Amino acid sequence: MFIEQLLGLLRAAGWTLALCVSAGVAGTIIGFLLGVGQVSKIVVLRWITTAYVTVIRGVPVLLLIFFVYFGIPVLFAVDLAPFLAGFVALTVVAAAYMGETFRGAIQAVPRGQFEAAEALGVRYLDRTFRVIMPQALRIAVPSLTGYLINLVKDSSLIGIIGFVELTRAAKILSNLTLDPLGAFLMAAVIYFMISFTISRIGVAVERKLAPKSKASSRKLATTAIPAGN
Amino acid sequence: MNLYFGDILPYMGELLTALGMSFGITIASFVIGGLLSVVVYLGKASRVRVFQILASGYIGIFRNTPLLVQIYLIYFGLPVFGVNLDVFQASLVALSLNNASYCAEIIRGGFESVPRGLIEAGEALGLDRRTIFAKVSLAPALRGVYPSLVNQFVHLFLTSSIASIIGLPELMHAVLEINSQTYRSIEVLAIGALLYFASGFIISLLARGAERFLFRWAVNA
Amino acid sequence: MITIEKLHKQFGEVEVLRGIDLTVAAHETVCVIGPSGSGKSTLLRCINGLEAITSGTITVGGIDIGASKNNLAEVRKETGMVFQQFNLFPHMTARENVAFAPMRVRGLSKAEAQDRANRLLERVGLSEKGDSFPSQLSGGQQQRVAIARALAMEPKVMLFDEPTSALDPEIVGEVLDTMRTLAEEGMTMVVVTHEMGFAREVSDRVVFMDQGQVVEIATPQEMFGSPKQERTKSFLDKVL
Repeated sequence: MFIEQLLGLLRAAGWTLALCVSAGVAGTIIGFLLGVGQVSKIVVLRWITTAYVTVIRGVPVLLLIFFVYFGIPVLFAVDLAPFLAGFVALTVVAAAYMGETFRGAIQAVPRGQFEAAEALGVRYLDRTFRVIMPQALRIAVPSLTGYLINLVKDSSLIGIIGFVELTRAAKILSNLTLDPLGAFLMAAVIYFMISFTISRIGVAVERKLAPKSKASSRKLATTAIPAGN
Repeated sequence: MNLYFGDILPYMGELLTALGMSFGITIASFVIGGLLSVVVYLGKASRVRVFQILASGYIGIFRNTPLLVQIYLIYFGLPVFGVNLDVFQASLVALSLNNASYCAEIIRGGFESVPRGLIEAGEALGLDRRTIFAKVSLAPALRGVYPSLVNQFVHLFLTSSIASIIGLPELMHAVLEINSQTYRSIEVLAIGALLYFASGFIISLLARGAERFLFRWAVNA
Repeated sequence: MITIEKLHKQFGEVEVLRGIDLTVAAHETVCVIGPSGSGKSTLLRCINGLEAITSGTITVGGIDIGASKNNLAEVRKETGMVFQQFNLFPHMTARENVAFAPMRVRGLSKAEAQDRANRLLERVGLSEKGDSFPSQLSGGQQQRVAIARALAMEPKVMLFDEPTSALDPEIVGEVLDTMRTLAEEGMTMVVVTHEMGFAREVSDRVVFMDQGQVVEIATPQEMFGSPKQERTKSFLDKVL
């Protein structure tokens, strides 16, 4: 009986991961572009990207999820399946936070890199993607893994719009078994394992990416978990 | 698509009252969580292994599980032990516990950011440990954590919206209520978003002003 | 005043001080020079206990620093230290920085401490800056306040750890002048420095250290004019 319940939750956890991985990837890609946009020389681009990042981060995630869920059918006259609505909502949020992270990471790349590339005559697109991006990515890894964990936690809210991810599955289970403690504790443990794994992977990635020098091997950044829910 | 905000006007009072509730629960859980976080921090920094483990475990659990699950556990799970909390109490407890775990780490960061040299200067002058902690490290540490604490406050304010799910009558809850009454989804959600955003913005602005005053002596206040 | 016998200091596996023997007489100014990594700063920091000794003894004013915690506290009252990075308390004004320890450790009343602070600030030439915060002062001014702060405890010995290394070249002079005056007034001083000019003009003796050992001790004339050891010669050739 217990095993069945656990398997049910694990299946839902699988959906949680599917949601988070897809939104995470999409959010990272868009986020990088937003990061580049925020430091761009084109004023309008800077303005739009900064506005997007600032607004999305200044509003509760739950509200954004509802906005996507209610708003897209009204604005675009399409009905969205819960998974898709959840995916869009999480991507919108992830992109904003990644955008802020990448902005910081790009600005943390030493000025000299930009200048050297420019002086060598490397064109803008090449500069951005071949010189700056790899370095920004390395700087961003701790924050990125930290945010991925937040994304997993934010995904717990997608259950509100009907998609059966892990938390909603636990709620349903608790209604069935009248054992809320058991159901939610199991869910909590599963979430914890997911977060733990992401942290571990993050540390391993950091170690691999770190430039081989005495200074950097001494100060490996620990994967910080930024304020999430 | 036709947007009509007029339908929302009669509900503005309701929204503002709910906003007040959001502020209230945020302030209350920030203060309670803040006090608790000092205990947790001291536990983690303590030399007693048991305290270290308990504190680290606490922080690890609350930062790696969703707030919603924490709220569910407290609201639905505690009754199993005979502890029946109403919506307000459960939300307060959950938000406080959650906040404490983040603040504990922020405090730790603050103390670790105090340059070692200041402490050495205190030692060289013959000051004792207690004096060094209270009179030398504390002010610079507070100055270091201030921006992070402000961010955490605003963050707490935004995430308090999750309590709407168990029915706490705060802003998000009011928005959803009005939505179900008027079906003006985009309009009411937009106004809700505006209220959240504006509130956060004003809080940050006020905090920045206070920072300049509180930390006049700092290089970059 | 200061007696160091067979001092050894290890950081983990690495032995940073390998058997130092040194005495500093009262009212003497001793400059310690040498390449980076020679252990000069570590030696200085052992004298007031900021670094723990692995073996050997250090006696300051007759008190064995390693014998007890009380002894350490006593020694710290009698030694003043000036750091390379100044380390002024950023949230206190210059006057408060100087007055703080005398109040707390020597038990002076607030009025007495402030009075002493004002006098010391005047002595280092910063009487108008009493109400300024460190962030409002230049590097050289901060270092002079740091000197005043150390002097406020009325120590028998002043320890200087590369006091001018973090300063812009044109500011170095004002700090060295303050230190020179102190030496002339008879303070016992141990100065770790790269400023060879200062060492030559102000010190009674110069100590050359390399790789954790004292290589040569001599008067400035001997040390800079005709050094006896090879290592001393090659170091001085590089820096002079």
